[in-house]
Amino acid sequence: MRARDLAQNVPTVSLDTDAMEAARLLSHERLPGLVVLSTEGRPYTVLPGSQVLRFIIPRYVQDDPPLARVYDEKASDELCAKLTGSTVRDMLPDHPDIDEIPVVDEDATLIEVAAVMARMHSPIVAVVGGDEVVGAITVRRLLDHLLPTT
Amino acid sequence: MTTTLVVAGFVGAYILIATERIHRVAAALGGAAFMVLLGVVDAETAFFSEETGVDWNVIFLLLGMMIIVSVLKQTGVFDFVAIWAAKRARGRPFAIMVLLVVITAVASAALDNVTTVLLIAPVTLLVCERLGVPPVPFLIAEALASNIGGTATLIGDPPNIIIASRADLSFNDFLVNLAPIVVVLMVVFIGLCRVLFRSAFRYDEDRVAAVMALDEREVIRDKGLLVRSLIVLAAVMAAFVGHSALHLEPSVVALLGAGTLVAVAGLEPPQFLEEVEWPTLVFFMGLFVMVGALVEVGVIEDLGEKVTEAVGDNYFLAASVLLWGSAVLSAIVDNIPYVATMTPLVQNLVDGGGGAPQANALWWALALGADLGGNATAVGASANVVILGIAARNGHPISFWQFTKYGIVVAAVTIALAWPYLYLRYYAFSG
Repeated sequence: MRARDLAQNVPTVSLDTDAMEAARLLSHERLPGLVVLSTEGRPYTVLPGSQVLRFIIPRYVQDDPPLARVYDEKASDELCAKLTGSTVRDMLPDHPDIDEIPVVDEDATLIEVAAVMARMHSPIVAVVGGDEVVGAITVRRLLDHLLPTT
Repeated sequence: MTTTLVVAGFVGAYILIATERIHRVAAALGGAAFMVLLGVVDAETAFFSEETGVDWNVIFLLLGMMIIVSVLKQTGVFDFVAIWAAKRARGRPFAIMVLLVVITAVASAALDNVTTVLLIAPVTLLVCERLGVPPVPFLIAEALASNIGGTATLIGDPPNIIIASRADLSFNDFLVNLAPIVVVLMVVFIGLCRVLFRSAFRYDEDRVAAVMALDEREVIRDKGLLVRSLIVLAAVMAAFVGHSALHLEPSVVALLGAGTLVAVAGLEPPQFLEEVEWPTLVFFMGLFVMVGALVEVGVIEDLGEKVTEAVGDNYFLAASVLLWGSAVLSAIVDNIPYVATMTPLVQNLVDGGGGAPQANALWWALALGADLGGNATAVGASANVVILGIAARNGHPISFWQFTKYGIVVAAVTIALAWPYLYLRYYAFSG
């Protein structure tokens, strides 16, 4: 089986997509991450769900985890308001490693796909054929095919 | 020829440290290696000599305190106290700033100022965000308070640790000679905060409710660990105060405290070593070897003789030059390498005074100048650099000049107050 056989049509986003819209896509489509396309329509990077959380949760809470316990429900809701008016570009790390992006060729074997995911800690990879994105493979879909049936 | 090369190597490494062209640890280790290559330093002089070697009392005192702070961090006590203080202040921004700077100053004196700002800054950002006030003035005020508070004790600021070890001064010597003026400086500093940061004190009743809704008890996850940690900390403080009577070096007290705390805390090594700044400890070692080389070739002794000759009996002039000169130099370069270089020189001057209190007071002039002068610029003290880093990571970058425009005022006022203190206490009535 090759990557093209496993690739699914998943929604992609651009750097200028609204952050709230991107977060909702992750939630509604039950995706572990989103493929971010450049203005030329090529894969630019992957936005994992954990990166969205990293954007929402203040850095000082990440540095000092016990502080997370003092937030009440109302304060928790306010944190997500940070997504309004922001874009996917804002949610990406300050220096995303765009030299190496989780992309595989449509002819890649499943082990090649798994190796890219493992090396880049990415829960999703974009599958390309020529210059076109033909779909994406999530870690869940890959494991479904790799694990022996019980 | 060797002496010239040693001085050139020292100055070169110092320039690299001051300009941060390469990492300061690399510069200090490179300088130390150069001294070894010149044949001035060997294993005996670098590791086992009290005069020219690595000052292990400083290294292990720092290591012990860093371990103690690592364990205290796990208890959440800093977050608890800061949120409690914000609620006690009923959300009034100036009252919150006063309580936070007082907590920072006291904790800096009891632990050390660099780790204190690391622990207090996150909860400050939380309180400011809830309150809807800009966090930058609060963070700058805490960095300044940590340097003032840390001046009060032997363990409060790294320069004091170096001075204490080299001059054989006790914890109580620092407490008796520096704590009184630090209390006065803190009162004046709070007044300055009111003026300098007045635009930050915006009061919004709705936002205050958000602060009052915070539950500080939630940050204490393990009450048993908190109680055990506080008991050990109290014992460590008592041992510092009585270390002369107990015949224990402060470094031994800190290591005993750290060992006890690790034993009773039940934490894993990554947790109790979390706040240990290995690069800082290695930087100190390289620095000591470099300064030791200067001592070894006689540069410090020659310089000391010339300065002693120039000073004569006028120790107040020497103290004044030391206070203001140290303040200016500490504002430009990190005060740790500055003090490491100056201590052998000041030791010569003090020895020349034959134990007179006027001569001994030079140590306090050096400590006050270096510690308080570090407030003048964003790069003057390690605590300032740490605060700038935390602020930038949290989306509130503080520029060099933004910090310096406040720091220089606070440094000038506090040094100007320390000067008459030195005169009145050690020189005015000495006949």
